[in-house]
This record gives sequence, structure tokens and C-alpha cells, in this order.
Amino acid sequence: MTISFILNGEDVSAKTRSVDRLSDILRETFGLLGVRSDCRCGRCGRCLVFLDGRLVPSCIVPAFEARGREIITIEGYAQTEDYIDITEGFKDAGVVTCGFCDASKIMATAALLERTPRPSPEQILDQLSSAPCRCTDPEAIVKAVQAVAERRSKRLYHHAL
Amino acid sequence: MSDFKAEGMVYVATVRSPIARGSVRAIRFPQLPTGYRSILPADIPGRNRIVSFGAEVPILAQDEVSYAGESVALVAGPDPVILEELVATTKVDCDEEEPCLAWESFSSDQVAAKRVAVVGDPDLAFSIASQVYAEVYTSGSIEHYYSEPQGAAAAYDYDKIAVWCATQWPYHVRDSVALALGCREEEVSVRPTRLGIHLDGKLWYPSLLACQAAVASIACGRPAKILLTREEDFRFSPKRARSSVSLRVALGPTGELSAMDVRIAVNVGAYGPLADEILSQAVLACTGIYSCPNLRVEGYAVTTNTPPMGAFGGLGASHSLFAIESHANRMAKALGEDPADWKSRNVLRKGSALLTGEPLKEEPPYDEIFKRLAAASDYRRKYAGYELVRKRRSGRSDGPLRGIGLAFAYQGAGPFLSGEASNSYTVEATLDKDLGLRILTSAAGGAGRVIDVWRRSAANIIGVDMESVTIATPDTDQVPDSGPNTLSRNVSVINRLVERACEAVQKRRFRDPLPITARSVYRVPKPIKWADGQVSGLPFDTAAWAGAVLELELDPWTLEPRPLGIWLCVDAGHVADPERAAAALRSSAVDALGTCIVERFEPAGGGEEATAAARAAYFSYGLLPLRALPPISVEFLEPGKRASVKGIGELPFDTLPAAFLSALSQAADTSFSSLPVSNARLLGSLGTS
Repeated sequence: MTISFILNGEDVSAKTRSVDRLSDILRETFGLLGVRSDCRCGRCGRCLVFLDGRLVPSCIVPAFEARGREIITIEGYAQTEDYIDITEGFKDAGVVTCGFCDASKIMATAALLERTPRPSPEQILDQLSSAPCRCTDPEAIVKAVQAVAERRSKRLYHHAL
Repeated sequence: MSDFKAEGMVYVATVRSPIARGSVRAIRFPQLPTGYRSILPADIPGRNRIVSFGAEVPILAQDEVSYAGESVALVAGPDPVILEELVATTKVDCDEEEPCLAWESFSSDQVAAKRVAVVGDPDLAFSIASQVYAEVYTSGSIEHYYSEPQGAAAAYDYDKIAVWCATQWPYHVRDSVALALGCREEEVSVRPTRLGIHLDGKLWYPSLLACQAAVASIACGRPAKILLTREEDFRFSPKRARSSVSLRVALGPTGELSAMDVRIAVNVGAYGPLADEILSQAVLACTGIYSCPNLRVEGYAVTTNTPPMGAFGGLGASHSLFAIESHANRMAKALGEDPADWKSRNVLRKGSALLTGEPLKEEPPYDEIFKRLAAASDYRRKYAGYELVRKRRSGRSDGPLRGIGLAFAYQGAGPFLSGEASNSYTVEATLDKDLGLRILTSAAGGAGRVIDVWRRSAANIIGVDMESVTIATPDTDQVPDSGPNTLSRNVSVINRLVERACEAVQKRRFRDPLPITARSVYRVPKPIKWADGQVSGLPFDTAAWAGAVLELELDPWTLEPRPLGIWLCVDAGHVADPERAAAALRSSAVDALGTCIVERFEPAGGGEEATAAARAAYFSYGLLPLRALPPISVEFLEPGKRASVKGIGELPFDTLPAAFLSALSQAADTSFSSLPVSNARLLGSLGTS
């Protein structure tokens, strides 16, 4: 079947089979390689996307579920000012990653800050547990997300003025 | 690897053995659609074997299978979803034999490697000992949980076969593929892809997948890619070998270590591709940081019908260090003294003889490390306090269930201990006309953060900015063989070679015209040799030393261990970037703690029941949630003026398990001797206290 949906702000359509996962069509049909397809059971967080504003692992979402909905992947999120806040904040705090989990950490941080603009260390660690990776330094990630929250709130405050 | 694509590429899926041991009678494929084909051992043009540290592993098992999930055939085609269905409907007919899964007691035909060493007169020392303490320490399998599952791709590139894979040992991949294809090594070009976190799990297995991809590519006449699913990787790729270390220790009248009788059994699974190296390292580390004048040690690498097992955050020393440190804590407790005091009396000193008879060249900074740890963690007071509570406690609801553990370890920096071919480390440096410096090493693919250490060292020697130093892409056509790159060797051995190559360039800099190229080759100073119960040679050039304190509390109702704090103090020599080094140690500490608490799994044999258990293990296996982590403090000793750079990545894996076990034993008032500790075991221990 052919489904239509909004992908990173654009109206798109794609042919899908019943066996296709959302992560499959994002990678194969649209070439969005920032969405990784790793555990294929929703645990590793490497394929996180926003589906109608909600953070979901796209490997356990059937592709046809995307019909008529809005999806934002890391490639789309990278066009936002929030993304710059996060990447710059991570860089300033000296977060070093393995290079495979960056997108999932960014998406998890984005979702956290959307609902909790000033998260506590516990909330940060809880949220980042949805993007597990052996490269994570807990101290650095807490500092980084707090720095991002600070940076983001300053920017939003200036926008509001 | 998951992002790798090439024009006309076929995907490759694996048909696996359903049984753990036996022979394959027939493989019945379904009707294969056009564009799909099967690949059998007969399609391998060269040798159906890869060789790792002397052991041979078949690329596709032909007659005999040695573990459930072993590759027996491949199916290649353009659509991975259809391939999945084709593999699921392929039947492998086998004649099953009883699998051999026992390893702590084993038969002689299971022995893949054996090491024996005797120092002094252990029998006499035991006969006059004041006290003898014996225990068996076991540690379980651990999944590497790589950044990306294992995979490889291959394609013709003009007159060569090009191979892409995430490997710690590009030249091993090259030589293995050449052997499998029956071609010259120069006809294979390996282009390593990003490794991510590997924890020494991508040493030899990528070579196997690279051979499969190369054979499929030749058979199909197209580029071919094989990428394991996360579940396949979990169930069938190498894990940390399980070990059992039996210690019998004789103490003199004042508690001094007078003799040890050690028996080590390491379960290396099928074929034992790293058996020699893991066993050598485990045996040579069996006395830990202690001086022992009389010693008898026997080590066995035991094969079983489970997937091949191997390294994890080091190649074998961690098994022994866990055992000796746990035992030292237990003996001190039995003697009624603080483990720190017992350790201080028995620790190696400068000039102490190592197991090989070589004197220790440097003074281990034990006292300084302990002083720092004690100050940071309040270890002395807490240990005494928790001991008092433990002795007076009458039940689980009587006072907090807390414990604190202390452990020390070293991480030797030096060559591999077995296999001459694995020690061919070479690094090249070229200073170009524009004063740009290029470092060429095949270790660059897996070096990660260490690359900055190399660049900084090189920049300092040549007197240029760090930005002027580039590390060449580790394509085997372009860079020299720098051996297998592991956590410790990249920082120590490779860094030293980078420095030497740069020094050689600098010497010629104002005499010869640019560009100037220099090579530096590592020579093993004194290779390890085993003969007639004696071992000689230099186990390591230099070592990083570390101590760890871990404090924990048991939830009185769920008995879940809750770590309260981790303190690490490390003598890392010259630390180029303390922030990054501390961050690396903290993430290793998180992983090491996870292996003590939540990461547990038992490699299974064949059959439906074992398959169901392995699948269940896959779905329940996970890393320690970040919210469960305690504060982790990392401190480095200030280096001396001539301190070199030392590898430190393995130290949390060498120290924290023993510290955890001792803290847990104190909290639960039971002497545990294996990791991970199951909840049932904990409940049993406290139910009777």
C-alpha cells in the first residue's frame, strides 16, 4: 500500500509492505541514516523519532502506522534551534560519544527538555537510560543536559522579549 | 556497517546449525527466487578456515558442527526481508551427539591450551604454613553490547577485493580473506569502518564475517554485505569467557603470603580462538599485585559446545585479578584485620620477582593510591563501622545492610604473550613539505580518544600544532601493520612507536629534504616462554596501577544491591587529557558495575529448550540503568618527570568486580565467591542470618 505522511516538515508518500517497520522505510526509502536499525525490538533507542510529537522507537512501529501523521527524525530535528542548543551544550560539557548513539541521546534530551525545561539529575539519568550505550559517562551527560537546559531557557527568554 | 551500500549489492544471511554438536547430513533450501543463491563450503575457493592465535575456526562448518548457531551455509540476495524468510524455512538435517558443556571439570580432549608454572617450593611452604585459606572464584559470561552488531562487506575494486568491516585487527582480516579466497594478501584491501565501543570483542570474529562476505561477493559477482542482527550477535558471537579460579593460599605466622596453589579453568567455548592468549594472561596475573615466593599454578583453556568465548575489556588478567583480590579481602577478614593492612604488607615492591623471575622495575604506588582512596571515600572508618554492624546484626531488619570493598590491580603495557605474528607492530610518520605530519598505523580504526594522545605526542616532538598532525585512514593498502589494537596497546605500545617514528623524523629534519618518512617497529624485549613447568620472559614493560573502593547498600526487602559510591585512584603515568581520561574511566566503571549487578547470561547448548532460553536471555539482558549509578570519583596520581603514557581502560574491569563482591559479602554477612550473584543466592544468605 502507499501511505502519505509528513516527514521532517514535508508531505511525502511511500510504498510499504505489511512487514515493513517505520525505521525500514525511513532508512531505505528516504535514506535517513540517522535513524539506526539495531535491536529491532524497541530497547536500544537508536531509532528514536518523534511521531506526532511523541518520542517512539521507530523499529517497533509498523510502517503503515505513519499514515496521515507527522514524523520528525534526527535529520529534521537538526534544522531546529533546539538541536543547536543540545549539540553545542554537549560539546561545551565535553561529552564524548562512540559515534553511534549521538542521535538517540539528542532525541532523548529533546523530549526531556520539551516536557521538563529544568530537569533534575535523576530525571536526566532516567531519560537517557532510554538510549543505553557503553560509552555513556553519567557525570558528563548530567552536566551537559543541565548546560543545554540553561542555554535553551536563555534563548527562549530572549525570543519572548 | 549498517549504512554501507554499494551499487547492485546483495545482502547475506546465515543458515545456522540447530544442534550444539554433531554432523550435518543435508541442508534443504526452499525454492530460491531469481537473484538469490545459496553458498556452501564447496563455494569457498581457498581454505575453509581462519586462524587466530594458532586455533582454527571454519568459515562454514562442513561436516562437524561445534556449537548451536554455527554458520553452515549462507543465502545471498537483494532483499533482506525475503532472505530472513528463506533462512527461516531452510532445514538443516543433523545427526546430533551429546554436547559437551561441562568445563569446571573436563576431559583431556577438551583442553585447548595448558600452562603450568612452579616457583620456589610450594609443598614445603604449605607444610609449615600457619593458616591455609582455599576458595573457588567463578565469573560469568558478559555480552560486549557493541555500539553496532558485527558485520562486513566485500566487493571487487578493479583488481582487488575490498573488504569493509569494523575490526580491531585489519591485517588479520586481510590475511584471513586471502586464505579463504586462495589469493595473495596484496590482492585484498581492508578498509576498516568505525568501531565504536568494542571492549576487545572485535579482535578475530570480524575476520570470519569478512571471509563470508568475500566468498558471497565472489559467488554472486556483486558487492555483498553481511550484518548480524542484534539478536544473532548476542547469541552467536564471542562473549567474555567464563572462568573458575581455585586458590589455596598459605600464610605465615604474621599473615604474610608464603605460598599459593592456583588452578585456573577458562571456558573458551568452541574452537578456542583466543585460548592461548587469555590463558597466558590469566596465569601470569594469578598473584595479582602481591609478592609470593612459592607458587604452583596450572591453567587450562577448556573448549565446550557453546559459541567461541573470548576477551572482554582485557584478554584474561581480569579473571585472576578478580579472584586474588576477592581472596585477599576474605583472608584479611578471617584474620580480623582491615584488608588494606594485609595488602600493604604483601604488595609487590620494586625489585620483587614476578612469576617469570623478572624483577619488577618500578615501585608500585600502592601506599599513595590507598592514601588517596581512604581520604576520598572514608574507607577506614566505614569498613570498621560496617564490620561492627555485621557482627552484631541479628537479622535483615536490624541495621542497614551496608558494605565497602577495596581492590587493587595493574594493567600491563606490552606485547601479546602468544603468537609471534600478533606482535608485528609498525608505525610510520611522514613530515610533508607543508610541515603537515601524517601518522600511518592500522591501529587508528579502533583508537577513538587515543588518537588525540598520539597527535599531541607527535606535535610535541616535531614542534608543530596538533592541527598539523593527521592520522591516515587505516586502509591496509596505505598503512603498515600495527598489530591487533586493544585498549591497552593503543595507549602504550602504539603511542611509543608514534613517538619513536617522530623522533626519527625530527633527527633527520634539518639534514634531509622534505618529505621525510620514518618507520618504527616494536621488538618484544623478552618474549614469554613456557617449558617444563617454568615460565620466563617479561610479561609487561611498564604498568598502570589502580585501586578502587566500592560502597553499597542492600535494599532490606528486595535485596537489590544499591551502589552508594565508587572511588578510583589511578597511576596512569603522563595523562595528556585528564578530563577525557577520567570520563573514559567513569564509563568503564559503569560497565564494570553493570557486569556485577545486572548483566548475566549463560551460553546455551542446542535444542529447542536452549534456544528458548537464549532468546529469553537476549530480551532480558540490558545495561545498568543510569539512574542506578552512584557518584564515581576518579583521581590520578601526579606523574613523575619521566613518566610515560600508560593504558588504563581495563582497570575498572580488573578492580571493581572484586571490590563489589567484598562489599556485597560484608553487607549480606556471607562470603560470596561468584559473579554475578543471583537474587536467590542473596535471599538464601540473608534468610538464614
